[in-house]
Order: sequence, then C-alpha cells, then structure tokens
Amino acid sequence: MFDYEVPSQLQYKPDPIVLDAKVAEAKDKLLHSIKRSVYVYRVDCGGCNGCEIEIFSTITAVYDAERFGIKVVPSPRHADLLLYTGAMTRSMREPALRAYHAAPDPKIVMSYGACGCTGGIFHDNYCVWGGTDPLLPVDVYVPGCPPSPQATIYGFAVALGLLDQKLHASHHVAPAGEQAPLAFPAIPYKVRSAFEHEAHLMSGYYYGKQIVDEFMLALTKENTDVFAAADRLIADEKDTRKRAVFMDLKNLLASKVVDA
Amino acid sequence: MFKLFKEIRNAGNATTGYPFEPLEMPEGFRGKPEHNETLCIACGACAIACPPNAITMELSQDQEYMTWDISYGRCIFCGRCQEVCPLFAIKLTTDFELAVMSKDDLRESCAYEVAHCERCGKPYAVAKEVDYARRILAREGGLAAADIEKLDLCLDCRRADDAVAFQKQSCEGGRA
Repeated sequence: MFDYEVPSQLQYKPDPIVLDAKVAEAKDKLLHSIKRSVYVYRVDCGGCNGCEIEIFSTITAVYDAERFGIKVVPSPRHADLLLYTGAMTRSMREPALRAYHAAPDPKIVMSYGACGCTGGIFHDNYCVWGGTDPLLPVDVYVPGCPPSPQATIYGFAVALGLLDQKLHASHHVAPAGEQAPLAFPAIPYKVRSAFEHEAHLMSGYYYGKQIVDEFMLALTKENTDVFAAADRLIADEKDTRKRAVFMDLKNLLASKVVDA
Repeated sequence: MFKLFKEIRNAGNATTGYPFEPLEMPEGFRGKPEHNETLCIACGACAIACPPNAITMELSQDQEYMTWDISYGRCIFCGRCQEVCPLFAIKLTTDFELAVMSKDDLRESCAYEVAHCERCGKPYAVAKEVDYARRILAREGGLAAADIEKLDLCLDCRRADDAVAFQKQSCEGGRA
C-alpha cells in the first residue's frame, strides 16, 4: 500500500552482513547460555531520545538492570550487546556500522523501540531506511514507543535466555457468515454519535471514548429510567472532571428526549 | 555504622523482582492492542486512524478476502485504534512482554470475506461490515432505511443510480 515505485539506482541497497559459521556458533551459545555479565553499548541511529530515557530508567534503582550484570558501557570495544535505538537514518549508517565492527565477536544486536524494529512512525521518511534489520543481523526486537523499563528488562531476559518469547505470528480466516453483535442496540445511532462527539470535545480522543462508553453502558444496563441511571452515575463519580463530562452528557440526553 | 544499616533496613527494597516474579501493571498502561476477531467488522477505521500505519488492510490477489494486519513492531501504542473502533473490537491491554527473536512474530492478521457488487461484481466492502450496516439501518427504520436494498451495490453503481434518478426528476420538472 505504501511501497512506491522508485528507480532502483536511486535507492541504496545495503549489503547484509553475513556471519561466518564459527562466529554464528559462538553467538548462538552467547544468546542462550551466557554465564557472565553483559555489557551494553547503546547506538542512537536517529531517534527522538525517548528510548534513551527509558534505558536510563532501566538502570536506576527501581528496575536495576545491574543485578543481572547488565551495564551500559561508553565504548563498543567493551560491549557484548549492541542496542540500536531509532530509525536507521541515511547519515547514521556509517557510525552504526563502525560501532558494529568495533565490538568484539560474538555480539548480540538488539533493535530497541518501534523505530529500531521497523522504522516506526518514520518508516516512510525520505532519509529513513527502515529499522536496524536491513543493515545488521538483529537477534532481539523490543517493540514499544518507547519500550517501558519493564519491557526493556523483558527484552534483556529474552536475549539472555531467562524468559521465552510470548508473541508468535498468527493468521486467521474469519468464518463465513459470522455476525458481529450490535453495539448499544438500545441507543439510536444519531444519539450515540452526538454523545461521542460531545465527549471527544470535552475530554479528548482517548479518555473521551472511555467516558462516553461508560455513560452509555450505564444508561443501557437497566431498562428503567435513563435519567435516574445518569444521576446515579454522576453521584457515584468521585473525579470532578469526569463528573463534569457526565453532567454535560446528561444535558445532551435531556435535549434529545422528546416528551410525549 | 550500625545506624546506617538500621536506616537501610527500615528503608526497605525498592527494586522490583520483575523477571523472576510477575509484575502487575497499573490500570491505564497502554500495552499490546488486543484484536477481537469476532467483534471486528473490518471497517478499516483503525487502519485509517493508525498514525504509523501499523494496522493495514489489504485486498487479496483473488479479490475474495480482505486481510486486517497489525505489526506490533511499528505500533506506537497511542490508542487511536481503540478510540475509533465502533464495536470495541480492539483494545489496549496492559501486556508489555512483546520482545521477540524473529521479526515475523511481530505480525498478526485476520482475513475477512469480501462482498461483491450485485450488478458489476466489483469487490466493495467486507461482507461482515455490509451485514452490520444493514442491521443498523433496519433498526433505525424511516428515512435512513429508504435505500436499504442498495447496500448490495458498490459505490459507483449507487452513484450511477442516483444520477439516473436525478436526470429523470429534472426532465419531469422541465416539462411541467
């Protein structure tokens, strides 16, 4: 959908790095049964620095990656694990390759963050060549934007063979003739969209949706008086900001009711 | 010296025991988006809303299936998909354990059958979505359900019908 036809001579084709058999074997051993501390060197290939902040959060006292011997080092010559953050930009290709070649074999390469994995939100930028993987042989992908410290620790645990990966590729085919149940069958469609519009105006896209869904669920839960249900919801709500939105939605409801 | 040790003991341990014990994430943490394939009508709202195009929808080569596809590697966990979904079919969970050893494991997809136009045979929407729209219009009734039988036509055919109807109307108006 987003792959445009560009003349091939205008596109850079990185030469993939091929590991020789001996190094590959040593690396395999390193990945699954490392018996010593892991020194990490961090390469920022053109990210927004959100990932760096989370890495530093990972080595603070609360998440304390150093209890597994994971230490961030200032030189790739000391590193066992190279952490590539950010989308691979054109101008950072050389430094990224230099860091890779400077690190002693065998080394683990980790793609960190959405940009490091696939290019993330910058994937179709003119100077971005996708994630780390077109250039370097990546062993572990840690998605997230940025990955939280917990996700970082999980990534290290996967890389060092402490935990197994949870996610697996899946493809399903929906059975033919399957019907989706109607959402809020008791509320007329126009009233529902008016509620949603009002809630989005009041409290933004993410929380507005949650608040309006809570409101509509409360209205449709019992088949009695909707105003009583709305009043109960308003009375039970402790957060004054949320209560204000509920009250606004109740006014809207009142304007939609046609008296017989 | 003892005072210091006492102080340390009283302060307790702030470090989480995470990889060795499960970690409870706070409510509202935006983790892995969970797709409910039964609820999903494959309307494509999430694919349009998704800022980094992590969710894509593609028609298969034989034009029989529309594939909904998410790449967790590209997802930025913004929750736009959850916001636009009319059916609660996609929800952000608190699951953060997404790291994988192979890039293919970051993809998840589901194929849905496509409805073809009754007149010209072109694929125009997912059959499940057309069915959902039909039930909503039938429930609303009145003016909204006036053109309900035209749901089986593609947009081009419907537009052609409208043009013919308009032409007829204007001709009649001209004669009078």
